[in-house]
Amino acid sequence: MGNFFRSIIRASSFFRKEIFEILRQPRLVATLVLGPFLILFIFGIGYHDQPRSLRTLFVVQPDSAISIQDIQQYGKSVDLLIIYAGVTDNQTEALDRLRRGEVDAVIVVPGDAIGTIKKNQQAVFTLYHQQIDPAQVSYVKYLGWLYVGAVNQQVLRSFALQGQKDAINWHTSLQEAHQNASAMRQAMQSGDEALAQQKQQQLAGNVDAVSLAVGTSLGLLDSLPQTKGTNGGNTDPVQSTLTDLRQNTNQLGNSTANKDERLTRLDKIDKDITDLDSKLAEFQTIDASIVVSPFRSETKSVATAQPSISDFFAPAVLALLLQHLAVTFAALSIVRERNVGTMELFRVSPLSAAEALFGKYISYMLFGSVIAAILSALLVFVMRVPMLGNWWYFTLVIAAVLYTSLGIGFAISIVSQTDSQAVQYSMIILLASVFFSGFIMSLDMLLPSVRIISWLLPTTYGTLLLRDIALRGVDPNWMLLGGLIAIGLVLMFISWRLMRRLITSSQ
Amino acid sequence: MALASSSEPSQLQPVQVEDSIISARQLTKKFGDETAVQDVSFEVPRASIFGFIGPSGSGKTTTVRLLTGVYTPTDGEVIVLDHNPAKFSQNERAQLGYMPQLFVLYPNLTVWENLNFAASLYGMGLFRGKRLEAALRFVELYEHRSKLARNISGGMLRRLSLASTLVHDPQLLFLDEPTAGIDPVLRRKFWDHFRELKKQGHTIFVTTQYVSEADNCDLVGVQNNGKLLLVDTPQGIRHHAYGGDMVDFRTSQPFDFQAETMLRSLPFVLAKTIRTGSDSMRIIVDQASTATPELMGWAQQQNIQVKTVEEYTPSFEDVFVELVRPEVEHG
Repeated sequence: MGNFFRSIIRASSFFRKEIFEILRQPRLVATLVLGPFLILFIFGIGYHDQPRSLRTLFVVQPDSAISIQDIQQYGKSVDLLIIYAGVTDNQTEALDRLRRGEVDAVIVVPGDAIGTIKKNQQAVFTLYHQQIDPAQVSYVKYLGWLYVGAVNQQVLRSFALQGQKDAINWHTSLQEAHQNASAMRQAMQSGDEALAQQKQQQLAGNVDAVSLAVGTSLGLLDSLPQTKGTNGGNTDPVQSTLTDLRQNTNQLGNSTANKDERLTRLDKIDKDITDLDSKLAEFQTIDASIVVSPFRSETKSVATAQPSISDFFAPAVLALLLQHLAVTFAALSIVRERNVGTMELFRVSPLSAAEALFGKYISYMLFGSVIAAILSALLVFVMRVPMLGNWWYFTLVIAAVLYTSLGIGFAISIVSQTDSQAVQYSMIILLASVFFSGFIMSLDMLLPSVRIISWLLPTTYGTLLLRDIALRGVDPNWMLLGGLIAIGLVLMFISWRLMRRLITSSQ
Repeated sequence: MALASSSEPSQLQPVQVEDSIISARQLTKKFGDETAVQDVSFEVPRASIFGFIGPSGSGKTTTVRLLTGVYTPTDGEVIVLDHNPAKFSQNERAQLGYMPQLFVLYPNLTVWENLNFAASLYGMGLFRGKRLEAALRFVELYEHRSKLARNISGGMLRRLSLASTLVHDPQLLFLDEPTAGIDPVLRRKFWDHFRELKKQGHTIFVTTQYVSEADNCDLVGVQNNGKLLLVDTPQGIRHHAYGGDMVDFRTSQPFDFQAETMLRSLPFVLAKTIRTGSDSMRIIVDQASTATPELMGWAQQQNIQVKTVEEYTPSFEDVFVELVRPEVEHG
């Protein structure tokens, strides 16, 4: 029998041994399969994708310009997020109620808002909370921002509504301006210079009045193209029209100008008045809410599927579980041999480090693959997690995650002196994976220097690759897969060197 | 086979062996400041049983580990199978069988699976079922082959360990206290098997705390406090312990003081006499075989009626106590 065949037999001894030992613990196997599945299943059922509503108490001073009705009105825009819990003028009592947990937030309405604004300062709505969770703190800040945004929008809407009401009067002024311009033309054509001068002065008065009133309202309408930059950076058309109108009206009073020149100016004045009137009519037809908030956003995805939150987490759970399983099993594997004393037996026997490691790799790879297969089947066929990509690629990634994780586990096992040390190291790897692998938060939220840790963890690669394959239906990113396997190779080499020292070196 | 045999006991001197399979010269092993084995030298002939006896903590296991390459000596040299054990190749290791002092296999595997694992470690072929069965039958565990190792007794675990050591038919066996916790009947069976293995050409290096088992060995090394007190045949060791052979001399009438004094002065009586009764003496002589007729002749001359004269073989427990006594007395 050749040496190669003997090597295979020696390696196979570990393969059988590890598998038998695992199968002797059916409860462990059941827990490994059903545990993550049930957790994900219950999470999927129990998770509701709704933002949290805050019971909010308002503090309004008696002399405040903002009434309770206003506050309730403002709150309607965010009424899913703010549960109106009442109004008080006693800030101390309100804050006590907040501390006692009777309400989630207290909003103190600014006392003299109008006076503050008149002083060219922003009036401040103060939002009190007692959250300590940074995510909840951010949420409360966001809610405050939303609320003040709603208030600002309401104020602007009031302005716009008032402008639309006033527009009826401005329309009359424009009609008068138009009539005076026509009368002036007739007077000029009939040679009645005195009447022409009189009409010119009346026209100038109409234009001044319109300029003052209409400019602000129509400016709202014209602010859109200005914001978008579609007017090429020129002065906005309403202001430009008004300026032209005033200049032409004033020039009509210039007695040195000849008749033709003045008639041409009158034509321009007529045109500008018609233009302004038409814009005013347009302004009146647009809803005030749209005038102050002309845009809204809509998001549409070009992704093949829109997974639910539990679907999204499923590949990450699978990758994390497989990594933890492989790391823990491998970490305990060699340290136990050493503590039980089997390592002494190995050292005397013809067993080589490569044979022992190979046997252990194969057995745990097989065991991990079976667990992965059962779990994947449960996820896809029972929980209906989308599987849009290629199963072979999916299997390849699972194998790579297991392989690299085993390398981490074996390295831990060889450097650990006791079982508890190996378990502790495995837990640290698990904790690092939860925080740094993109399991909880996106990798983009980590500093690039910290992301180095992420790229040392198989879960990071597994999560990204499995999500791509299962939820996007694309081929794996071969660079990522190559990186994962390269880490696995390096770890296997390190484990082999350490194991060789353990098995073949005398003490 | 040429076993060392010496009428003159050899203390701290290796018995000269023509064909040694193990050769240790001035072996010393220290762990930090503590010396576990000090200046140990001996040779083990091929196809023999070498017993290594000594109390717990005397350095027996450390010596075995030095011989198997688990430990490297701090000082000295060891050659096993013509090689340094620390640099054994796979083929050389395949010729060894090692039974550690404690059970080191797997509690969650059955008796059969554990033995199968051990057989695989030595690269035994796939058709090894018969061999496994034979090994289990020898240690009387075949009926228990389906039991998990964690559910069998300590004695059965020792037997399983022994079966695992023997299953690949090694040329050189290192057995660290193989009979500890084994009942006397099975212990005798083990020793019968070891002798059978020796006949087949296997060499066995066996440690034991049961000094009585030394009688089963061809050569015995007595170890105490990390030092090898002597290496000799069992008979040679007894001889060394008491300074000669022992003869029990019993007469029809009680010994008087004058007869005892005369007896002590005889030239073939080597050391002190021990009165074992009013009519009996235990005498240490150079050679029991030649001293017995001379003793009979002397009794006849002195008109002493002899009831019995026979060689006394002390137990190895007594021999061991006698051997370590000087060390104990010197603290």
